[in-house]
Amino acid sequence: MSWIQTLNFPFMQHALIAILFAGIAFPMIGVFVLSLNLIPLRFAMMHVALLGGAIGLFLKVDPLLLGLLFCILSSMALGPISEKMKLGVGILSGYFMTLTLALAFILIYKADIHVLEAFNILWGNILSLTILDLIIVGLISLMILIMVFLFFKEIQAILYDREIALAVGLPEKLFYYLIIFMLGLTIAVSMRMIGALLIDAFVLLPAMAATLISRSLKQTFFFSSLFGLLSGMAGLYLSFVFDIPTSSTIILVASLIIAGCFLFRRRLSGYEKVR
Amino acid sequence: MHHSIELAELYVRLGNVSVLQGVNIEAKPCEFISVVGANGAGKTTLLKVVNGILKPSQGRITVLGYNLSHYKNLNFLRKEIGVVPQKSNSNRFPICVEEAVLMGRYGKIGLMRRPKEPDWDKAYEAMKAVGISQFSKKLVPELSGGEQQKVALARAIAQEPLILLLDEPTTYLDQESRSEIMEIIHTIHHQRELTTLLVSHDDQLVEQYSDKIYLLKEGKGYLIK
Ligand SMILES: Nc1ncnc2c1ncn2[C@@H]1O[C@H](COP(=O)(O)OP(=O)(O)OP(=O)(O)O)[C@@H](O)[C@H]1O
Ligand SMILES: [Mg+2]
Repeated sequence: MSWIQTLNFPFMQHALIAILFAGIAFPMIGVFVLSLNLIPLRFAMMHVALLGGAIGLFLKVDPLLLGLLFCILSSMALGPISEKMKLGVGILSGYFMTLTLALAFILIYKADIHVLEAFNILWGNILSLTILDLIIVGLISLMILIMVFLFFKEIQAILYDREIALAVGLPEKLFYYLIIFMLGLTIAVSMRMIGALLIDAFVLLPAMAATLISRSLKQTFFFSSLFGLLSGMAGLYLSFVFDIPTSSTIILVASLIIAGCFLFRRRLSGYEKVR
Repeated sequence: MHHSIELAELYVRLGNVSVLQGVNIEAKPCEFISVVGANGAGKTTLLKVVNGILKPSQGRITVLGYNLSHYKNLNFLRKEIGVVPQKSNSNRFPICVEEAVLMGRYGKIGLMRRPKEPDWDKAYEAMKAVGISQFSKKLVPELSGGEQQKVALARAIAQEPLILLLDEPTTYLDQESRSEIMEIIHTIHHQRELTTLLVSHDDQLVEQYSDKIYLLKEGKGYLIK
């Protein structure tokens, strides 16, 4: 069966559409994560989602749905809580991460669920997306694009330096929380699509590649979307040609792009220290 | 609006430390006030209180005639206060100098609006006043520490504030550049009729430029000039 013929299958069309949306929009969230140091937070959210999934399995409710719900709730809570307690988002994330993991394991044990079944929540499958999934991915992608377009200057200031964004009179907290909230949404849906463990293929890797070669935030956003789309499409195609798992192929392509960008990176002494 | 800053019987606690214990400082319109003190004396803390980032446990802060404790949202005031921070964590992503300076306009432009021609003009004017026009297309992380400090100063000026808060604006500079940037600050202070509050550990340096100097020591402020 040729590659073109596979496109007749709805599941392939769905995967393509999902990659089109997520490939363009999700890497922008990756740019936020890198600039604001939200990597631990993103880890914590995945674990919170796992807890949601475990509770779902325990209560015999759709584990994915509860996982999503937990992710969204935690993304709304984590920013303000860390601000109130004057803790870094990183420290609080570590706390949440271990706590939720422990709780999840207790539930999984008590419910007599096979651990592998529980971890299924973390894997997802891009080739089994429903129309509803597509609508959700499309909506969240649009929200991200609209947010970046409408609030470009606010986002630029906050990613550059939160203190400066506040000092020039922007509602810095509001936008910071909004960014964390969008991160939560993105993690929730990408978990459904490609699984929590492979989220970075869409969110972080293209953004990393883009920051290596960009000279402004506009360029960073542009290249991260380009790379996201490229690795998604190429990954889907190659996974069929070589008959290998799609998510892993997407990651491989994204990693190759990063390697390529390393070769082309700007030679910046001061900038290298930061990474 | 009064062009002024007034701190009355100010107490600030950070964690378990009483950093400020009854500080009184007044900056009248268009005055150049310096606050000097050793490392850890509470100088940065003082500026953060004036900018409404830290809340005092006691005392009254009046900025531009507004009593800060009466307002929950201080963004309207911050648009009128230019800040040059002590250290910036500004090299996370690449941005060129002119964009970094334009950022000073962002609060005043208003949400969702794009910078327009006049905003760019003000950014260029500020870069010229500070003497960094020749770097305008360079990336901020590619500049030296002193040059980056000038970018921060230019941003604060592009904001067209009524009040200028400067936290150790000479930290990364050699002796010669110190006097140079102090001259620049002083000139701008006069040209734009700003009320300036500068904190520094170097009382010698600020002496000739300041209308009044306070010494911050053990939580108290002493008028020494
Ligand atoms: N978040 C915090 N929690 C507890 N104590 C703090 C905090 N931030 C600062 N301090 C303490 O408050 C005191 C004043 O700090 P501040 O940064 O205002 O000093 P400074 O005069 O600006 O010093 P420097 O000249 O080194 O910049 C210091 O003793 C410091 O240890
Ligand atoms: Mg200080």
